Amino acid sequence: MKDGGSTAAVAATPADPARLVPWSRSVPATLGLYFTFIRLAFLKFLAYRLRYYTGVVSYTVFVTGHYYIYRALFASTVAEPGQPVLIGGLTLPEMITYVAVGWIGRSFYFNNIARELSRMIQEGEIAMNLIKPFHLQTVMMFEVVGEAAFRLLMFTLPIVIVIVPVFDVMAPPRPDLYGWTFLSFLLALVIYSQWNFLIGCLAFYLKNIQGVLRAQMVSMDFLTGVILPFSMFPGWFQTVTAWLPFQGISYIPVTIYLGKRTGPDLYQAIGIQLAWAVGLFIAGRLLYRYSVSKVIVQGG
Amino acid sequence: MDANPWRFPPAARRGPWSRFTWQLGIYGAYFAQFVKSRLAYRVDFFIDTLAISFSILVQMAVLTALFAKVKALQGWSFEEVLFIYGFSLVPLGLFNLISVNLYRFGDDYIVQGKLDRVLLRPVGTLTQVLCESFNVSGLNEIVLGTAVMIYAGMELGLTLGVDDVLGLAVLGPAAALIYTGVFLAITSVTFWAEDRMGLAPPVYNVIRFSRYPMTIYSLPVRIFLTFVLPFAWVAFYPATWFLGSPGFKHLALLTPGVGLIVFGGAVAIWKKGIRRYASTGS
Repeated sequence: MKDGGSTAAVAATPADPARLVPWSRSVPATLGLYFTFIRLAFLKFLAYRLRYYTGVVSYTVFVTGHYYIYRALFASTVAEPGQPVLIGGLTLPEMITYVAVGWIGRSFYFNNIARELSRMIQEGEIAMNLIKPFHLQTVMMFEVVGEAAFRLLMFTLPIVIVIVPVFDVMAPPRPDLYGWTFLSFLLALVIYSQWNFLIGCLAFYLKNIQGVLRAQMVSMDFLTGVILPFSMFPGWFQTVTAWLPFQGISYIPVTIYLGKRTGPDLYQAIGIQLAWAVGLFIAGRLLYRYSVSKVIVQGG
Repeated sequence: MDANPWRFPPAARRGPWSRFTWQLGIYGAYFAQFVKSRLAYRVDFFIDTLAISFSILVQMAVLTALFAKVKALQGWSFEEVLFIYGFSLVPLGLFNLISVNLYRFGDDYIVQGKLDRVLLRPVGTLTQVLCESFNVSGLNEIVLGTAVMIYAGMELGLTLGVDDVLGLAVLGPAAALIYTGVFLAITSVTFWAEDRMGLAPPVYNVIRFSRYPMTIYSLPVRIFLTFVLPFAWVAFYPATWFLGSPGFKHLALLTPGVGLIVFGGAVAIWKKGIRRYASTGS
């Protein structure tokens, strides 16, 4: 220890400027580092790809179930004379498309990083990430990108191939809406993962986060609009959802696909998503920084 | 009388009935032990109750929104559908209470070899695996499901009679046998092949659609849910017995029979699998 002390004293003298330069990494090196996490996440999920075959069945079950529920609902609704039956402003084919595109999108943006982060915190594994030269939030975001790339190819694509012909899913009214929908789902991926990062950070403060994760699991698909379009709900509920980030996860992309948002509405919707994506990322940064400054990891 | 009731029964007591009651006693002892260990974590139970209540609220919000513009879903009123939902939670709760180890059976018992220990004990293998862990949230589902049923029943003007209590006491566990049977059969597959696919989740996801009146589905789907994956019997058919729906009411009485067939079949597969089991040796 005495030796160490003396070297430190030497290093602190201005005579050795090289020692004073803070550790840094070039921009290309940083990009390379984070790209590695995308690749590793992709490969990790590729190893479990068999699990996703039954996932295709699960998603088909979800869409099939809702197909029958809506079919019954439309059959039980009496339309105005001379008008098609509308529920929440949608016709039956539009409603089926809403359900199908909602679940197809979910197959892309879904991830489990809240569970993953809370597990790392509870098992103390977080300590290892604190001493490594990267920011965990950024790493997890790039891992989500890798996972989403895997899901898009090996999960979303098969689901599209099964669901679109079976349920006669409509094409969007204009072809450029494919692009806008995809962009919107990319932003949904960021919002979803950053929200999950915030939830995962709660494990710094709660002994048992299972209840929170469970509550989030049961309410997420409802609040994002996957289960039912918000337009089916009373006005006050729509006002509430308009102020929450969750509409940017499914309701906005799907209504864009259906052509319900055009011109300024479309740009405004994308703007709202962008604002939430950035806002939640910053909130995650701040909460993580504060939590890390307080956390005590038991020695392992 | 034995001083220790949990002792392996002597030859004289090895009749099928005495074996059954003895196993039931073991089951009770396991459960008592589990409750004692869980009481140390009261907050967990509280949070879990909140989470389950929350999930039921979400479900009720979905149903309310579906029924906002219509009086009935193909002849089934909101209250009737709500009642079916409430009923479905009772067998689901019973099933969730004991099913934790079925999900992790492949990893914990086969791959890690925990089954070796189970096989060394003079109690039924299935009893041990099912009872080594409980999921307390099952209790919440049973209580809250009953509450939803009572609320919907009151709205429907149903009168609560002795036959309803008896009906719940028979149909609830019978429907739970169907859940347990289906997932036990899926779990037993791991004796033959490692389940890399995850067969349980897609089957589990069918449950949420078995709570709607079967009449909204097309004939092939109805036949599938009645005979192939018999989830029509876990909520809709038995619930119609309380609702007194003509045409289905009597079908509801077949639920215990279906439960015994499904569960019996699954136990047969399980026993075949147990005989086939070769330990990993570690």
